[in-house]
Amino acid sequence: MTIHHREHFLNEIAEQLGRPRRTEVEPPVYSVQPQDRVLAGARADELVDVLEKQCEVIHTNLEKATVETLPEVLRKVLNAYGVRSVVAAGGPRNQVSGMDEFYDRLSGEGYEVRVWDEQEGRSNVEFAERAGAGIVFSDLTLAESGTVALFNDRFNGRSISLLPETFIAIVPKSTLVPRMTQAGRLIHAEESKGNPVSSCVSFVTGPSNSADIEMNLIVGVHGPVKATYIVVDDM
Amino acid sequence: MSIKIGKKTYAERIQDGIDNAFMRQAVSSAQGRFRSGRLKAAEDLGDWEEWRTLGEEIRHHTMENLDYYLYQLSEQVEKRGGTVFFAKTAEEANQYVQKIAREKEAKKVVKSKSMVTEEIGLNEALEESGCEVVESDLGEWILQLDEDPPSHIVTPALHKNKEQIRETFAEKKGYTGSDQPEELAAFAREQLRQDFLSADIGVTGCNFAVAESGAVTLVTNEGNARMVTSLPDTQISVMGMERIVPTWEDLEVVVSLLTRAAVGQKLTSYITALTGTKLEGEVDGPEEFHLVIVDNGRSKILGTEFQSALHCIRCAACINACPVYRHVGGHSYGSIYPGPIGAVLTPLLDGYEDHKDLPYASTLCAACTEACPVKIPLHEHLIRHREIIVEREQMGSKAEAVMMKGYAKWASTSAAYKLSTKMAHTALKPWTEDDYISNGPGPLKGWTASRDFPAPARQSFRNWYKQREKRRNDG
Amino acid sequence: MRVSLFITCLCDTLTPDVGKDTVQLLERFGCEVDFPEGQTCCGQPAYNSGYVKESKQAMKQMIQAFEDSEYVVGPSGSCVHMLKEYPKVLSEEPEWKRRAEALVDKTYELTQFLVEVLEVKDVGSTFQGKATYHPSCHMTRLLGVKDAPRILLENVKGLEIIDLPLKEDCCGFGGTFAVKNAAVSEQMVHEKAEHISETKADYLIGGDMGCLMNMGGRLRRNDQDVKVLHIAQVLNSQ
Repeated sequence: MTIHHREHFLNEIAEQLGRPRRTEVEPPVYSVQPQDRVLAGARADELVDVLEKQCEVIHTNLEKATVETLPEVLRKVLNAYGVRSVVAAGGPRNQVSGMDEFYDRLSGEGYEVRVWDEQEGRSNVEFAERAGAGIVFSDLTLAESGTVALFNDRFNGRSISLLPETFIAIVPKSTLVPRMTQAGRLIHAEESKGNPVSSCVSFVTGPSNSADIEMNLIVGVHGPVKATYIVVDDM
Repeated sequence: MSIKIGKKTYAERIQDGIDNAFMRQAVSSAQGRFRSGRLKAAEDLGDWEEWRTLGEEIRHHTMENLDYYLYQLSEQVEKRGGTVFFAKTAEEANQYVQKIAREKEAKKVVKSKSMVTEEIGLNEALEESGCEVVESDLGEWILQLDEDPPSHIVTPALHKNKEQIRETFAEKKGYTGSDQPEELAAFAREQLRQDFLSADIGVTGCNFAVAESGAVTLVTNEGNARMVTSLPDTQISVMGMERIVPTWEDLEVVVSLLTRAAVGQKLTSYITALTGTKLEGEVDGPEEFHLVIVDNGRSKILGTEFQSALHCIRCAACINACPVYRHVGGHSYGSIYPGPIGAVLTPLLDGYEDHKDLPYASTLCAACTEACPVKIPLHEHLIRHREIIVEREQMGSKAEAVMMKGYAKWASTSAAYKLSTKMAHTALKPWTEDDYISNGPGPLKGWTASRDFPAPARQSFRNWYKQREKRRNDG
Repeated sequence: MRVSLFITCLCDTLTPDVGKDTVQLLERFGCEVDFPEGQTCCGQPAYNSGYVKESKQAMKQMIQAFEDSEYVVGPSGSCVHMLKEYPKVLSEEPEWKRRAEALVDKTYELTQFLVEVLEVKDVGSTFQGKATYHPSCHMTRLLGVKDAPRILLENVKGLEIIDLPLKEDCCGFGGTFAVKNAAVSEQMVHEKAEHISETKADYLIGGDMGCLMNMGGRLRRNDQDVKVLHIAQVLNSQ
């Protein structure tokens, strides 16, 4: 049995609410929808501008690249951080974007590179724990808050964006949306069709931080200490 | 821990708070920052009132249909490989988690910040069954090492200064560094990283569950909740039964309200929505997932005039806006839920007996109500509590009850009222000097201990008015 | 226009001058002011302390007192707000609720009445001095009167208004709170007094006698040389 004590628990709720158990609920229509107005109708370039500005607020470095210059920009970023070991998300996007080749080249030059590989099991996590940087593709990018949404899966392990000291997100311009509203809507649409989106949707906004000691903002606590987004013009 | 903290009386706690100069300074500056952050975030949106309306409507709809959405949630969690346990009481919840820990032969449990597990005393329960429990939120870890209860629901160690934290780290963990916050945090990072990697079970709370997909959403800045849910093989999430929204569309609205109202951020660093167990082919994430849904007194609030207290999204905006909290700090409330929302919730969850003073720890200035992102009428709930305390529970002071009876008579009989306005000046004359009273009798004592009281005028307004009318009519 | 003055029990007993200024001010704008003798206290001291039953007796007295009035105007945001709560408190007594609603519909706080009903922005008064203004909690948050006092004060000749730091914070009055939680109330009013002194103003102006009495009492105890004035006194100053 995987659901315990449900009936009694829910019956009591219904009783407290003074009605029989509800087995059907009409989707509510709320009186206002302010979330739709935020950055409504903004073009992709405008969203990039918003993202760039927000990155200053969230202690995140932003770089711009084209599909052609991406490897070069990425190398510059790694060098700037002094990173020699990299864990990266796997999957078909590496092929399309030429990242596969780039990672091969880095390996050839003596970098330690691990492209996430489920066959390797737990050693991926151990590698990520030691790696200087984790590189992922943003699945959806929320301009307003400067957030990359990651639909973690077999290619994009949770640890990549979490354990290394530096977090690098490749942000295809086509993934930019105004705000979390669009992400919520997309996931809701998929879930309504019975398509689970991901066992772990991570909305990541810059490096980790804390204000728990005398309200001083400390950037970098348990998760990454540094973050860079590379916006790639893929449109 | 449980809801109630400490054994001191309300008056003793208040005095402790007032006497704690560091804490008051810390709270005051934190409130200032929280407040300007919240106001700026609201201003940036431009139509904050509409957002609040939407938040209120979502929460209201959810509570009205809570049985339906909890059913849907449990079905979805099951479908995605998780187990759901509905716990009526704290004991039931704790026993279930203890059972899982035994089955897993768990030695170490690592936790992310959760108020509901504080409420039910889960740490103590797990420790009793032989587990080492490690809090991983920086603030909670500091408090755990120092065996101190939280004083704020978002920044639990607000009352501690960095010197105290350095001492605690040195004493309990052999820390030898300075009291620089960055260095202290780096030490915590290094210490806790090992705990994340070696823990058998990760325990989280739940900011919002999403009924339509079975997701448990965690809102953090430090990244500890992601650690707790990525590394151990077993994940147990504990949620108060009201911490749920119907859909992902609703989720994004309440999350937006939460992060703005709590800390003035558009979103916190990590909003993590976890659904069931890891899927085939996934390397990290839990193999086993348990969701514990806790009632512990909440259902009794449904269907009552206090139902909207369950709308709370735990942002602490009311706490940060409260001038009483600023001067007395979180521990003065004697509850893990301090501030205005604490004064409303605590008597509902834990009874009036131990908490009958809390509804009076407010000037009813309504700063809380104004700050609440889901429009809970907090100050009105406090008034209602007071009514219950004096009328139903009969816990008011006898002297006050007598006085109020007298008040009713005075205010409902215009002759008595009139007479008093005439007599007041003479009656208080013995205490009056230069038209002020500095050392008043009876109920005035509390007042005049710290401020002067204006003596009643020689002639009341109504007498003046009457004479004026007379003069006019005669004239 | 016939206006019934709702004097409030504090002004009636402690600060009748505020009432006199209110009457004169209203008369200056052509109002025919009367004073229903049956009025007492709005019921707030009992209501906010949880003695709802007792407060209802005061409420009914007030409803009756103002039954024949065309407009009811009071120099207090807090007491006027209490009147506005009557229908809710009396919701289980339909007849009283109906009568309470009639009272609500015709009741205004003084500055609100001047600006919203009489449509006055400049009362034509002169007051020389530097002052700071305390926007009381019930007036602004509960009654929703935020702009009217500011608009009126801005147009007083000779008056310089200095912004009060953390002005939206409660002064620590809270009715019976000041007595019941005297220790906390003291901290709050002390902080408020410090903020007032930071402004270096010579006058503290407010629209609620309760708050003014609280802050004034502390200022006096601290030997702070700040004069406390109700807004009606400033607006009626020539």
